[in-house]
Amino acid sequence: MKNGSRTGRSLRTLAPVLGVLGFFVLWELIVRVLDVPTFELPAPSRVLQEIADHPGLYWHQALPTIREAALGFAISLLVAVPVGSLLAHSRVAERATWPVIVLLMVTPVVAYAPAMVVWLGFGTTPILMVVVLISTPPLILGTIIGLRSVDPATLELMESVNASRREVYFKLRLPSALPQLFTATRVALSLALVGALLGEFFAGVTEGLGWMISRSQANPIQQALPLWACVFVLAAIGTAAFTLVAVLERTLLHWHSSQQF
Amino acid sequence: MDEIRIEGVGKTFLGKSEVTALVDFSLIIGRGQFVTLLGPSGCGKSTLLRMVNGVEPVTEGHISIFGVPPDQARREKQFGFVPQSPALMPWRTVRRNVNLLNEVNRGATEHDPLPKARVDELLHAVGLDAFLDAYPATLSGGMQQRVSLVRAFASGAPVLLMDEPFAALDEITRGSMRYLLLDLWATSGTTVLFVTHSLDEAVILSDRVAVMASRPGRIVAEEAIALPRPRREELEDSHDFHRHVAQLRAALRSSWVR
Repeated sequence: MKNGSRTGRSLRTLAPVLGVLGFFVLWELIVRVLDVPTFELPAPSRVLQEIADHPGLYWHQALPTIREAALGFAISLLVAVPVGSLLAHSRVAERATWPVIVLLMVTPVVAYAPAMVVWLGFGTTPILMVVVLISTPPLILGTIIGLRSVDPATLELMESVNASRREVYFKLRLPSALPQLFTATRVALSLALVGALLGEFFAGVTEGLGWMISRSQANPIQQALPLWACVFVLAAIGTAAFTLVAVLERTLLHWHSSQQF
Repeated sequence: MDEIRIEGVGKTFLGKSEVTALVDFSLIIGRGQFVTLLGPSGCGKSTLLRMVNGVEPVTEGHISIFGVPPDQARREKQFGFVPQSPALMPWRTVRRNVNLLNEVNRGATEHDPLPKARVDELLHAVGLDAFLDAYPATLSGGMQQRVSLVRAFASGAPVLLMDEPFAALDEITRGSMRYLLLDLWATSGTTVLFVTHSLDEAVILSDRVAVMASRPGRIVAEEAIALPRPRREELEDSHDFHRHVAQLRAALRSSWVR
């Protein structure tokens, strides 16, 4: 057994938990010892208390944001995998599309988010549009790179028995692409959350964590606690999404070297 | 018609400059024979294998597989291919990897895949019974290559094409793999076209060896290996074995440019 003792292994499992706990304890101590005013930086215990005092409020504000991010991500995935597959198939199409994808990725979404509102009006539609625009490019790239990462010898093996394109795609290319797709999914999910928040800033909606944050900002001294509560809720949503992906990855990619311990 | 006929085959790759990979290659392989292409890297062995397989067109000459052109033979799934790397799908268990060739291009075959009981026998023969549900990442290189071998035999294809399948294995493992392959082949009735750059391997395995030279790729000698079968490890200590190896070495040397 590698790394010897049982205590050694349980320490390794506990290490991340200890790290997070240490971070919050340090934060709490600094705020209390230096007596930092709440509007500058509230202690984590006060932020958690704020959430515990109004669980319904934060739950109701979190739901639309989660919905926008999740729905937008789902649309991105449904668009990106077929588009990426087509592009992986044709070098010419890929070369033509590549600059557009790169342009989308390097242009800060904040810059064109207001334009979405002008085009699509107020409401959920421009928010979804922003989420899709921001989370699709990494998924397309992940699909292309993943589909291309196929083992040439296995491809030759499939050719030797005249496997159809369809068989090669579903039996070989798509499973080969899964590790890359999961990596892209992590990136796309965090971007989707950013997109949902940003969309809410501009889209004139009156619910969601993004709306709540922008409202708090108008009144930062009185609203410091709700602002930080939103940050905590968002961190929790992000963590939950990452955990979900990790569990899915562990199940689907148990054969992959990255999952061997 | 009951043979693989390779007649006057040439291959030129067109690119920025023309590269002649193979000239005037002829070889006739009877059904059930084990024939080896022996030669240095770059002599066109793999290219020839790909042309027999029907995935690479010939530039000159003619190939027929039991009376049909290579491309048709490929569509009829006449070939089992064993590449140099095991080429296993890491998300499939040993058993499902072995079954892979039977799952694709179904219904195109004129032969049947081996019955499950027979495949189990093969897996037993190569010592993989205990690993049927294991994933490739947990197997050693030698074990992975055994899966690859069984996969080719399990397809029931009458012609097996092997492109240096043992080249990446350590000397001790490849020593035992050769006899394992002979065991699998002995009862299968398949025709094997085997590519290697190992003189010992060519003598141990083959009925006949086509010795090749490079630049341009061509055949320089054809040697029959008249050693009795079944062949066992002791063979490698015999005078006859060394005589055959010496003959092949002489044939290879004759093609050297000095």
